[in-house]
Amino acid sequence: MTVMSDRLGWSFRSAVGASIPFLCAVLGVIASNVPVSIFGSMVPPPMFGLMPVYFWGLVRPDLMPPFAVFVIGVLQDLLGGGPPGVWTLSFIGAYAIVDRERDSFAGLAGIGAILGFAAAMLIAGASAYAIIAIYYWRMPPVAPIVVEIAISVVFYIPAAMILGLVHRRLVGPLRGDF
Amino acid sequence: MANGTMRYSRGRGNAQLPLAIVVVLAIVLVLLGKAQSSLFDRARASFTDWTRPALVWVSMPFDKASAWFDGIGGIFVVYEENQRLKQENARLRQWQSAALLLDERLKRYQLLLNAVPDPALNAHTARVIGRASHPFLDTMIIDAGKGQGVKPGEAVVDARGMIGRIFLSGERTSWVLLLSDLNSRIPVTVQPGNIQAIMAGDNTPNPTIDTLATTTPLKAGDQVITSGDGGLIPPGLPVGVLVSDGHGFRVALMADAGASQDVRIVDFKLPPEQPPAPSPNDLPASVAGLKPEPPPPLPVQQVTPLQTAQPAAGGAQPKPATPAAGATPVPNPAAKPPPKQPDTTDNGDTQDQ
Repeated sequence: MTVMSDRLGWSFRSAVGASIPFLCAVLGVIASNVPVSIFGSMVPPPMFGLMPVYFWGLVRPDLMPPFAVFVIGVLQDLLGGGPPGVWTLSFIGAYAIVDRERDSFAGLAGIGAILGFAAAMLIAGASAYAIIAIYYWRMPPVAPIVVEIAISVVFYIPAAMILGLVHRRLVGPLRGDF
Repeated sequence: MANGTMRYSRGRGNAQLPLAIVVVLAIVLVLLGKAQSSLFDRARASFTDWTRPALVWVSMPFDKASAWFDGIGGIFVVYEENQRLKQENARLRQWQSAALLLDERLKRYQLLLNAVPDPALNAHTARVIGRASHPFLDTMIIDAGKGQGVKPGEAVVDARGMIGRIFLSGERTSWVLLLSDLNSRIPVTVQPGNIQAIMAGDNTPNPTIDTLATTTPLKAGDQVITSGDGGLIPPGLPVGVLVSDGHGFRVALMADAGASQDVRIVDFKLPPEQPPAPSPNDLPASVAGLKPEPPPPLPVQQVTPLQTAQPAAGGAQPKPATPAAGATPVPNPAAKPPPKQPDTTDNGDTQDQ
């Protein structure tokens, strides 16, 4: 009986630990789309939703499966107010590249890790730009998406520290990885 | 950054098949959004309605902080600002006198010419509870929706000029597409000269302007107002002034969407145009040189004294003499012709006169 309850408890903790990356991404999407202008609408909000996708897509892809990325992208489209599917497809595109080149990305640390996220954000931004251009059949201005990419990369520096902390303190211990 | 300290899971975990499936799903979503955007819009409007209290609660401290920071900055220039405002006030008083005189004169001219007066505008006032500035979208959310009579397409203005128009209405909230948004295109008039143009947003602070004629002379400082073409946005709403960007002209908007706290939603509806009634010469048979056939006799309900008379108290209701379904009505030559009915369209709708 005790063994069974221990196993159930372990499974529950493991499930909670496994859901943390997804919940972090959901929180990131909400934070990106809280319709409050902090910088007086001069600067777009960082793409917080992509940061956990990149981080756990690289560190623990089993905790950030493609379907979770799809749901996060749909949520970003729903809350962002733009045409549906644009960021969904962009997030999946960035995730696919990271998944494919994980061996190259995984060894990166420090500045390299930031450049790795910059590459993922560049792929997502370029995909979104291309989809919007096809969607409306005209070329949107490049400057806003460049600013979006830049501000997201800048904000990834503190975000990666927080995500690393969450991974070490919550995800790992709950799943018994450490 | 912290990736170097992590233990990596090197296996791909057979992610290729799910990845392919979600790519297909995402492409389907894009296509579905293009074909049936109302599905997504309804979900979005419902979500915004549902989160309205949270939006109000979240936006409040930011609005207060923004006002506070503006106030802090203003303390250092309060004397100069006061002097400038006094001068501006004196100048505006002169303009006010001139405007009142011209308004009276205009009313007299309209009376003399028996001119059709401008339609009265109804407006709802709403509070801005959110702003979203994304790379491909520039919107704000206001706390008025269908419940308050707000409908998609209506113009949104602040004290200085037009901000945008409603593009999505929930029950208690609405999304406003700002004039600077990529999808915003409104018909405008450039004054002086009454030059018709289209102002298009491109997600930069100053929207572009495309005149309908390529040789129209524009110059920086010209006023841009709404033209009212299309009948959705009222004419004459101030929009901005022309500024040169080196290659052409853009519009410096008068309204500041980033600072507006309360806005007005203008409900403007022109009476629908009535198409002229077709003359016999417009009928295809007449054009072909054939004499148009007389219209078939209508299944007229004979108006009899029994039908028009009030039933006697306590008496049985007389049954109307309706022809049986499928039966051809037989004209009664002895009966008086029915009174002439108003002209009706084919689908039976009576035209509003």
